[in-house]
Amino acid sequence: MPGSIRPVSVVWVVLVCLLFCSRLLSVGAAPICTNAQAGCHALSLANLFDRVIQHSARMHGISNDLHSEFEQYFLPSKNQIGRVSRNCHTSTIFTPNGKENAQRMARQELTEVILKLLVAWRDPLWHFHQSIAHHHDFNNFSANKALEMSDMVHELRKGVEKVAEKMQMMGIISNSVSSLASPEALLPSDSAEWRLMKDYDLLYCFRRDSNKVQNYLKILKCRIVPEHGC
Amino acid sequence: MWRDLGLAVLVLLSAAVESNSTSPPGKPVLLSCRSPEKETFTCWWEPGSDGGLPTTYRLYYERERLEGVHECPDYWSAGSNSCFFNKTHTLIWVDYYLTVVASNALGNATSDIFKMDVMEIMKPNVPENVTLLVVETEDSPYLHIRWEHPRNTDTESGWVTIKYELRIKQEKNNKWKEYMSGTQSHFSLYSIAPGGVYTVQVRCKLDHGSWSEWTNSTNVKVPNYVQNERSFWILVATLSAIPFMAAMCTLIVKRENVKQCVLPPVPGPKIRGVDFHLLMSGQSEDSTNALIINQNFPLIVGWKDQMEEYLIVTENDIGPPSDASHCQKRKKSLIIPAGFCSDWEIQCKSTHIQNDCAGGTKNETGNFPKNNKSLSGESLSYMEPSKLQKQQCLGQNFVNTEATDPSPLNYDNAVKPFTNSGYVDIRKHVENTQEVNVKQVDYSRVEDVNGDNVFILNNKNLAFNSSGYMDFQRQEEKLSEDYSRVKEVGSNNVVVLQIQDMSADTKNPHATGAHKMGVCTELINSEYIDTIPAPPLM
Repeated sequence: MPGSIRPVSVVWVVLVCLLFCSRLLSVGAAPICTNAQAGCHALSLANLFDRVIQHSARMHGISNDLHSEFEQYFLPSKNQIGRVSRNCHTSTIFTPNGKENAQRMARQELTEVILKLLVAWRDPLWHFHQSIAHHHDFNNFSANKALEMSDMVHELRKGVEKVAEKMQMMGIISNSVSSLASPEALLPSDSAEWRLMKDYDLLYCFRRDSNKVQNYLKILKCRIVPEHGC
Repeated sequence: MWRDLGLAVLVLLSAAVESNSTSPPGKPVLLSCRSPEKETFTCWWEPGSDGGLPTTYRLYYERERLEGVHECPDYWSAGSNSCFFNKTHTLIWVDYYLTVVASNALGNATSDIFKMDVMEIMKPNVPENVTLLVVETEDSPYLHIRWEHPRNTDTESGWVTIKYELRIKQEKNNKWKEYMSGTQSHFSLYSIAPGGVYTVQVRCKLDHGSWSEWTNSTNVKVPNYVQNERSFWILVATLSAIPFMAAMCTLIVKRENVKQCVLPPVPGPKIRGVDFHLLMSGQSEDSTNALIINQNFPLIVGWKDQMEEYLIVTENDIGPPSDASHCQKRKKSLIIPAGFCSDWEIQCKSTHIQNDCAGGTKNETGNFPKNNKSLSGESLSYMEPSKLQKQQCLGQNFVNTEATDPSPLNYDNAVKPFTNSGYVDIRKHVENTQEVNVKQVDYSRVEDVNGDNVFILNNKNLAFNSSGYMDFQRQEEKLSEDYSRVKEVGSNNVVVLQIQDMSADTKNPHATGAHKMGVCTELINSEYIDTIPAPPLM
């Protein structure tokens, strides 16, 4: 009996070792590498695009929900006489408003537009969250959503920057350093305009801009890596 | 006066009639706007009262980041009371401010401002070509539902993301069951009931917009033959189960027989020629019979006769037997009767025989243990003799040894079995070839002995012949004899002996002290007198 246990145990040990090795190899593929580190298995561009698109979709969903909630508290300006001028602080950024315009735009420009938008909304959203948190009219649920939205803008910007880097590496877009080095330079000089806006208008503008970002990313993806999901 | 009153009434009447038929138009209402693919949109309004006059409706819009007021570019593509904005006039993510103005001869009417963003008014058309298919697999069939994206929507550029939803209803229930399909344009429904009728509807939405209308119902009937097949197999299974159960019952009832048939009893070890049962139940005699048969011994007919044949004691001077075969025969002959004895007696006898054959001069008692050992190597593989039996053997042996002469003698000695006392049956061997002087013997008996040592012989029976001699029974050891010749026989019964020098076997008669003999030395005949040295008579 003892004679037969030994080979069985050896086989078991070998199997366990194989399992572990395969696990280790597969785990190694998960982390994202920066600057093409040696021995690092990087994600594909399509995969990166999918991630940022999902992220932007979620961000837009939250802004949509918050906007609906705000409409209950604030009278809509539809009934107001005359034209209500609402100027988002990002209206100065030239963004394509149609499908053809967006498709006609160069990839690099489009990427820059996305990044500009994301950069422009970092501070206003944070302030928005602060004002909502202090306002007693809103519950914690809304405040949490505002905070989440603010964080998401920040992370989405990082994600899009990574995508841009990858595209630059792959030669899809040219290496124009000016667009990515200092995003703050992209902001218009009168960037403090947003401080004058009311919260509801901020939400309205952000809802629109998050939809833009999502759409632009989708267009980019389907233009550059038109695999599944287009 | 009457004329003025009449004129006033006429004017009033005409004025009343005119005011009923015409009026400025009522206020129109913008109902909704809709963009099916995020590239164009359409708006509809509801006109108010027209005031009895032909009324025209115009739609004007203002747009963010566009100066001026513009009129609707297309009033007819989408039907009446609608305005269609084509791609060139459609901008996304910009606000539109719409108004409808109704005007007739008497006046205008303007609707409320309707603010909209194309992003918010998205509602796609219904999906198209909904097809149902019952896929029949081996295990169970399933329903495969397939459709296409609504018309005019561009799904390839990534401009819009369409999500689908479908609902299914069985014919019996009135309850719809909804399923999300995501962005896929197909769906599979498993575990469908055979013979049922299924109704399917599909709808979709763009990004975060509104759901479209449901498609028209599409029906499908699942074929029923699968169930029939299954019932057929169920029938077959039940029918085959009955004989199976019957077989199982018989097996259980007759399990002993089955056991014997399947697992036959292992036959016990068999010894050729031995009846095991007889051994188990028989007596000791039978057991020994069985044992004898094992050894392939020939059958014993009557041991007694054979014993009588071979119980011979021979006196001879022959030393150690040169005739091996002779000895063998004896050995063999003794073994056979010895077979009747118990185990130990067999041993003893054979040892004894061996002693004789091996060397008669040996000390037989000393050789016993040795021969015992040699015997153990033979086919007789019995237990060691018990002490009692050994003593018997030894005793027997001793008896035998006493009977033998130190000088080589061959004795065929056999001990009568089953008795403790041994005896020697001495008999003269007829076949003995040794020379023994067997002669006719004439005796003369000494009747009386005088005081002067005169032998008085009784001549009654005395018959002298040429070679008469006196033979007195004597002990066997004594071989030397004294002979004297009778010279003369007196009248007074006086025997006159003659001293004569004979052959080696004559000796001078001893003359004891008190022994006087008138020795007359006249020989009549060559007769001998065997004298026994008598013990001193005085």
